Amino acid sequence: MARPKSIRAPTTASLPSNLRLPSSTPSLVKSFGKLTRQALLDLAFQWLDDRNVQSFPPYLQENEDQKEDEDEGLSPYPAERTINDVRNAYQELQLRKGGKREVIDRILEGDWRHGITLRQLAMVDLRYIDDHPASLRWTALELARIGAQQYPPDSSADMTACLPRLHASTFLNSLQQQIAPLVKAHYYLGRSTSLPLTFLRIFVTNSPYQHPRQAADSLTDASRVIYIAFPDSCPFIYTSIASTTGSKASTTATPHPVATDPRSLQRLVRDAIPKALSLPHQRYTLKATSLTAKSLQALLALRGPGRSNQSNGAFSIFADAALEGSPLDPRPSNTVSPEEHMNQQFHQQKTTEPSEPTDSTDEKKLSKRPNPHTDPREDPHVSKKRSLAVQSRFGTSGSLSSAPLDRLDVRLLDPPTPTSNPASRQTPTQTQTQTTPSLSLTFTGTDIISGIRKLAELGVVDAKRMPSWMTGEEAVSVAVVRQGSRVVKDSG
Amino acid sequence: MEDDDLDSEISTIRAEIRTLQHRRRILSSSILASRPLQRLATKAHPQSPPSAQSQHQQQTQQWAEISPLLQSSSAHARTNHHRIGFSTTTFPFKDPSPTADTPNLLGVRIDIGLRDGTYTKPYYILLRTGTNREGKKEVSVHRHTVPAVVDVGGLERGYLPRSKVPTTTVDGEEVEAEAEAQLKPWKYKPKKQDLKGFVREVRKQLVVWHLRCDAVRYLREKLGVVRRGVDDDAAGFEEDEEGGWERDILGAAAGVGEETRIAKNDLGIVSLGPTALEAVYVRLEWEDGRVGRFKISSTGVVERAVVLGDNGRDKEMEDVITGGDGRVETLFDRLRKHGLSEREEGGDRSEHGDGGEGSEQGYGEDGSDHGDMGDESIL
Repeated sequence: MARPKSIRAPTTASLPSNLRLPSSTPSLVKSFGKLTRQALLDLAFQWLDDRNVQSFPPYLQENEDQKEDEDEGLSPYPAERTINDVRNAYQELQLRKGGKREVIDRILEGDWRHGITLRQLAMVDLRYIDDHPASLRWTALELARIGAQQYPPDSSADMTACLPRLHASTFLNSLQQQIAPLVKAHYYLGRSTSLPLTFLRIFVTNSPYQHPRQAADSLTDASRVIYIAFPDSCPFIYTSIASTTGSKASTTATPHPVATDPRSLQRLVRDAIPKALSLPHQRYTLKATSLTAKSLQALLALRGPGRSNQSNGAFSIFADAALEGSPLDPRPSNTVSPEEHMNQQFHQQKTTEPSEPTDSTDEKKLSKRPNPHTDPREDPHVSKKRSLAVQSRFGTSGSLSSAPLDRLDVRLLDPPTPTSNPASRQTPTQTQTQTTPSLSLTFTGTDIISGIRKLAELGVVDAKRMPSWMTGEEAVSVAVVRQGSRVVKDSG
Repeated sequence: MEDDDLDSEISTIRAEIRTLQHRRRILSSSILASRPLQRLATKAHPQSPPSAQSQHQQQTQQWAEISPLLQSSSAHARTNHHRIGFSTTTFPFKDPSPTADTPNLLGVRIDIGLRDGTYTKPYYILLRTGTNREGKKEVSVHRHTVPAVVDVGGLERGYLPRSKVPTTTVDGEEVEAEAEAQLKPWKYKPKKQDLKGFVREVRKQLVVWHLRCDAVRYLREKLGVVRRGVDDDAAGFEEDEEGGWERDILGAAAGVGEETRIAKNDLGIVSLGPTALEAVYVRLEWEDGRVGRFKISSTGVVERAVVLGDNGRDKEMEDVITGGDGRVETLFDRLRKHGLSEREEGGDRSEHGDGGEGSEQGYGEDGSDHGDMGDESIL
């Protein structure tokens, strides 16, 4: 019943939210199966909510009466009489313990046997992201004003001029106008339940028709989905699109003039976002910020609305205000621990992992290697000195506050000379020398910076002499380094 | 069962011990920094001639013992007085990075007082000092902790313009650039840097932002905020009344992201909150479905207001919101007055006894930041 037998003509409208995929599509089971039983039940309740039930009508007996020809009795889930009955059925599932499969079956074969709408699918996907914040790799992009006005022209200018304000439906309209002639898409905006983010899920197809005739499987294809996250009140956006702005010449040099592969469709969407955000006389462009990470928490800490965008590594003591207290605190600052400073005046920060050892791969490799320096029972004087050095280099990053980077790529432009390369510089990671005399280091793990901090605490890395990019001060995941400091290309 | 009881008892006792220890520390440092004690110490300290009296000697010895503590706490108190009095203070900071080209940084600390008498986390700006081509001192922002609400980059471009240094690596290009610099000196002429202006502007924008947030919080508190899961049973909301819960972006007291809602009130407002973190626009929602939005100016005046109902715009309500003295804090007074007059017009003489607004106090009146708001011309 997904396809009405009306005339099909190419349009520029977006894919309707109520376009139904046949419930028998095998990939639907996979998409639903990502969620936990509780999450599925929550979604079902949400669909059956009084305010939403118009958009997601379940299959009821009255629907059954309209088409008699269907084989009755065969379905294990007889259609319910009213919406309340459907709700009760899920309440029952809620109370009962069981696998999630029965919930999926109930949804797909029972109450929504007439099809799952694109909006429902989008909700399933967003719920998955909410439950698994590290399921995607996010790239942070900066929204920069083209032809920024000179300060101070007059201080009466709008104070928030640096941030484009967006009204969700207006933005979606203009985004749709931008990409409609080229890409047919379905849009879904949702608010994250745990983070200060708004997600936009865009599903792109290459068919110009309102009701595409492709296999339903292609409508659940994960590679055709783009996620864009808008953090609150800061000039950054995060996308799940992998490619960077610079790499226009992608490796898949498509010979067709109109590329229809998911990648180029995604690029069209990405190019349209700044245009959709722009207003007359206020144009925006997206700039790469060399930060890609799996953890949205890290992105929010490093490119977010908070205090820690521009102060990491050694300067994180300022971002967390771990150095001094408020001016009303009578205790001298040096007698108060940083933790107390961080927690006293503001609501208890959710330091989720105060001392959790992050098992980065670096360390695993390290532990195999016998190292004379890693004996913890060393001279207490030396270790005290070392811990002070670590403290001053890393500040609170990697211990009290964390922005877990899962990958850090560094290219060292200095030729590796044997004299200036003591053992302490040898980082236990995969190193690959290239033909040019430069060195590329790649760190992977769950939290690189705290891993390096651990190494420094153990004395493997000399905390005093290491360059500042190792402390996460630059807040990037890709860096080109010359003589210890990051080289920033103008081209971005 | 008993074990659980004991465990909880032990943990409560431990928590109490912690709070008491904390209190003791605060009190002892307050005593150390107090003026009578400081005066006594300065009196006792200089005159330490060898007197015969053993008691006196003992006393001086005691003073000598605690004098480092006294000194440090008096220094700390002095710093705090500066921070309270001037709100913007500077300090030196050394970049620990071994590869930093300018390790000595100038730190600027900005303390901003809030409505409830506390201070925000201090904001820091760390400035790098260098010299330009003419040997003049130049500062640039190295690191800062100012949130994105204040565009530090833009302000830096405006107030701390740096002389253009030909930063090309290729020799030929550099020569070319230098030649150009000689031919067209105006292009490379450094504009004057205004560090004071920069810091003043950053502080002003931070203060204005906090005042706006405070104003919105004040309005919400006036109406009464109900926190989900904490005190929602007392407020008498139905269990199934799911709608209306909103995430509190400002995080009034207990944490950002907590779900809150406005308590039932006589104004019929069901929701009031900033549209974004910068709290320039505030969204209002009434019981009857009207939706409004108003803008707070940097002087605390409601600048513009739009109210949309089912039958289009509610111009009368818009006038009420922007009318009167226009202050944000007196918004509800205006709304109440309007409601009252409307009711009288309608012939409804029912008593409306909710006028207990005597204790109302403007948010700018008790803080040291009032001067900032007053100084600004009305935009």
